[in-house]
Amino acid sequence: MSKHIIVLTDVALITCIVQKGSADVIVTAAQNAGAQGATVFYARGGGVRERLGILGIAVEVEKEVINIVVATDQIDRVFEKVYLAGNLDTPGMGFMYVTPLEKAATYIPKEIENKLANEIKQSV
Amino acid sequence: MSTLKQVRFGTLVREITMHQEELSYNELAPEIEQDKYGVDLVCRPSKIKLRSIDVYRLAQPYLTVRLIDQVKAVLPLAIYLVLFQLLILRQNVSDSWIITAGLLSVIIGLMLFMEGLKVGLMPFGETIGNILPSKAKLPTVLLIVFLLGIGVTFAEPAIGALKAAGSIVNVEQAPYLYSLLNTWSEVLVLMVGIGVGLAAVLGTLRFIYGWSLKPLIYISLIPTIGLTLYIMADEELSKMLGLAWDCGAVTTGPVTVPLVLSLGIGIATAAGKGRSSLSGFGIVTLASLFPIVAVELLAVFVSIIETPQMIISEAVAMNSSTASLNWHEKTPYVEIISGIRAIIPLVLFLIFILLFVLKEKIRHPGTITYGIILSVIGMIIFNIGLSYGLAKLGSQSGGLVPGAFTQIELVSDSPLYSLMLGISIALIFAWILGFGATLAEPALNALGMTVENLTNGAFRKKLLMYSVSFGVGFGIALGIVKIIYSIPIAYIVVPGYLIAIVLTYFSTEEFVNIAWDSAGVTTGPVTVPLVLAMGLGFGEAVGAIEGFGILSMASIGPIISVMTTGLWIQWKVKRRRESEYEVVESVEGAKS
Repeated sequence: MSKHIIVLTDVALITCIVQKGSADVIVTAAQNAGAQGATVFYARGGGVRERLGILGIAVEVEKEVINIVVATDQIDRVFEKVYLAGNLDTPGMGFMYVTPLEKAATYIPKEIENKLANEIKQSV
Repeated sequence: MSTLKQVRFGTLVREITMHQEELSYNELAPEIEQDKYGVDLVCRPSKIKLRSIDVYRLAQPYLTVRLIDQVKAVLPLAIYLVLFQLLILRQNVSDSWIITAGLLSVIIGLMLFMEGLKVGLMPFGETIGNILPSKAKLPTVLLIVFLLGIGVTFAEPAIGALKAAGSIVNVEQAPYLYSLLNTWSEVLVLMVGIGVGLAAVLGTLRFIYGWSLKPLIYISLIPTIGLTLYIMADEELSKMLGLAWDCGAVTTGPVTVPLVLSLGIGIATAAGKGRSSLSGFGIVTLASLFPIVAVELLAVFVSIIETPQMIISEAVAMNSSTASLNWHEKTPYVEIISGIRAIIPLVLFLIFILLFVLKEKIRHPGTITYGIILSVIGMIIFNIGLSYGLAKLGSQSGGLVPGAFTQIELVSDSPLYSLMLGISIALIFAWILGFGATLAEPALNALGMTVENLTNGAFRKKLLMYSVSFGVGFGIALGIVKIIYSIPIAYIVVPGYLIAIVLTYFSTEEFVNIAWDSAGVTTGPVTVPLVLAMGLGFGEAVGAIEGFGILSMASIGPIISVMTTGLWIQWKVKRRRESEYEVVESVEGAKS
């Protein structure tokens, strides 16, 4: 029997870029809104920072980029919660966007796998 | 008849939750204008207008994070000293408002200074470190490193504490010490700087050629201890030994360590010796040993050209002639002048190197200027806080603690406790002070993290932090014993470093690096003035000739404690390996 993997569809990627040190708040907010997990990596960037005048120094050049994969039904909820948690309505605080994903795969618990298989059998 | 109005549930939910209005990004994107030839003009976005809530949200985390860092370093120590004074010694804190204001200005001054350092000075260090090796030959590079070592010493905030200590010394009891701290004080700092500069040069060479730290330690300890023994033979001169050994601990602060390190690592990377796991270590060790030799040499030099009688008569003449101070010797002018003198030469030197030696442009001049102004202002405020907050509080509690076991004027019903109990209270006080102050030092936390990574988790961060703090605690308690019984410092320091040498011989390279560096890390800009002032106040109260030496005990303490812990871990790891090996052997034996 050939090996099979379960591929998830209807997934989307929320990417949020904030100042270094703020990722924890974002990740907690996303998880509280139902996101499973998040990946953080470090980057450097600017843009708005240079247009803030003297207050620009209060904005870190070093950033944290947070990748959160969510189900498409979750997009709005997680998106809003992250927006609020990160104070993204303040200039210089960060930027976020959603990208549609074609498919994703990860560990899926055995009991859920069995349940899904049964449902498929019943419908046939 | 009632009419039923129907509302979609989804519409309701949308009404009571958040709105997501859509707006095309094309509306926001600026239009590119063209000049009359049809060429696109460079797009220059306009400044953003900030609402007051935006200003608050931007500035609030920026300020609080930096403020809290310094509050954490100052407040616990101050509270401890005050509580000890109130509860154990049953004395009120005199000038409590001045001290509170002083501590507040220490906090604000340090906050501004550290931020200015990060924004204004560190970029120079990094740029020079990266570019210098490719544009200049090795001798030039080493010369610049050497000069930089001198410059950073003058900019070190804790150095001010040494100068402040000079006024407390009694000229008739310790003439050479008095003369070093008053008439020779600038030369003293310069000698310390030369020591740091040489250490930076040697440390850089070590980075490039990958030398082991052990022989360097042995070689630099020979003149240090040799000169100590030579100076000890002269009764008058021996009183400045405490100062010499303390200078080593004062130098390795928040300016020296990062600037010299960033330069050294940059040079080593450019020389093709990438960052080995240990490349950051070693400079701190050497920078705390070389100044000792430099100051000892200065002392010998002073003793050759001046006699004690000369110094005493000079000092008496000075005191009678200058009854009123000049305007530039009064607060706040003296602090302003010393603040500017500490930072500006270093900045000018760095700019000179960048513009004329490396022929580079200064990037972000606005930010750099902001950083430099901030660090100067911070240094000035810190200096004011140093004299009115840290030094005052330290010398006050240092002066009162002896009241626990002996009769002193300041404490009315002293001795408060019996001799043995009183001395033990004083020692426990000193131990907790050292232990707590070190544990709170942010640099130690960073070192702990590095060490845990370096040793693959064998040396836990907590274990390192506790063993360093333990060492410092015992060191400071030992320093108090030294002052109470006026034990010559050489009797403690020389055997201490001999033990350290023996331990160094048996330890692996990694632990040697960690242990010797941990001594330098522990003495930050808050601990140094406080402990220094406490020692001097304590010494004055018990009638000791000089109260220096506590800081040097606090340096040797962690070296020994960390290296011992390291040896213990080494032994444990070895034993575990051996037992695993035996298991494997016995299993294989059973198979065959």
